[in-house]
Amino acid sequence: MIAQLLLTAMLFAILLYASMTYRQAPIIGFLTVASAFGGLVFVWFPSYATRLAMLVGIGRGVDLILYTWVIISLIMLLNLHLKLRAQMELITLLARKIAIADATRTLKAGNEL
Amino acid sequence: MALPATSDVWVVMGAYNEAKVIADVVADVKSTGHRVVVVDDGSRDDTAQRAQAADAIVIKHPINLGQGAALQTAIDFVLAQGADFIVTFDADGQHRAADIAALLAALKSRKADFALGSRFLGSTVNMPPQRRLLLTAAVWFTRLTTGLRISDSHNGLRAMTRRGASAIHLRQNRMAHASEILHQIAASDLAYVETPVTIHYSAYSMAKGQTLFDALLIILDLFARRLHR
Repeated sequence: MIAQLLLTAMLFAILLYASMTYRQAPIIGFLTVASAFGGLVFVWFPSYATRLAMLVGIGRGVDLILYTWVIISLIMLLNLHLKLRAQMELITLLARKIAIADATRTLKAGNEL
Repeated sequence: MALPATSDVWVVMGAYNEAKVIADVVADVKSTGHRVVVVDDGSRDDTAQRAQAADAIVIKHPINLGQGAALQTAIDFVLAQGADFIVTFDADGQHRAADIAALLAALKSRKADFALGSRFLGSTVNMPPQRRLLLTAAVWFTRLTTGLRISDSHNGLRAMTRRGASAIHLRQNRMAHASEILHQIAASDLAYVETPVTIHYSAYSMAKGQTLFDALLIILDLFARRLHR
């Protein structure tokens, strides 16, 4: 029961994170929400996990839960990568503004000479 | 049909560590009478000084951002300066300045907003067979993803009108920008033409060229870009 409550708390934290991500990266948000919901179902209804695991050839329900965690981790990693890309875009805009302002100033100074 | 006045045309190039060749490339383009803008993309050598000495207008990125970012910086700058026609040109000496006139003539005579250089309609010098194979695959990929009927998808020599350039907003900083431009041309619904040009492969330009691994990274970059806003 303690493990179930802990996992539920963590999965709820992931759901919260996914809802914050949704605006910037809807696909990632959707995948994270779907995986976290799947995780919640498996935590509270382990028999479903076992049945689904048998269906897809994994064998044990607990392995399926482990795989779900791996999938969630990979999605979070991808999301982190996308956030870094978004940061890079902001840095690019800033660097571009600075570069163009400098060049424009130099060009004007040259024309005034 | 008369070509645009040389004062209306700005030739732009992104350059990263091109000190060996940039002065010759700028001088070649300047001989056509057009204004030249070089975006020094955070080079560690004296690319900027040499381009400036060759009478180019130099914009310096404070850090290395990539060729796509450099081209967008150049486009933003020359649009702000009132450019009517913009030509993008590679800084590694692969292109011939003499081809610029044909691109500009194509814009005028075909009433297009983009004239895209094509080495496969024109000619190549010293192109290795593996490069031809890679570029052919890239053309098919681009045709499938953009719907554009083009013969050369990764040619840095292109001309565009002011209206065309205003429709380009590159967010792919690195090599995927060539595909991104084509996607944006397709999305803009503006007219485009292809024009034969000559690409000259040298040991220097080949060392800076793209490999199969780069092509895979480009596909990943294009895919990742679609995952976030």
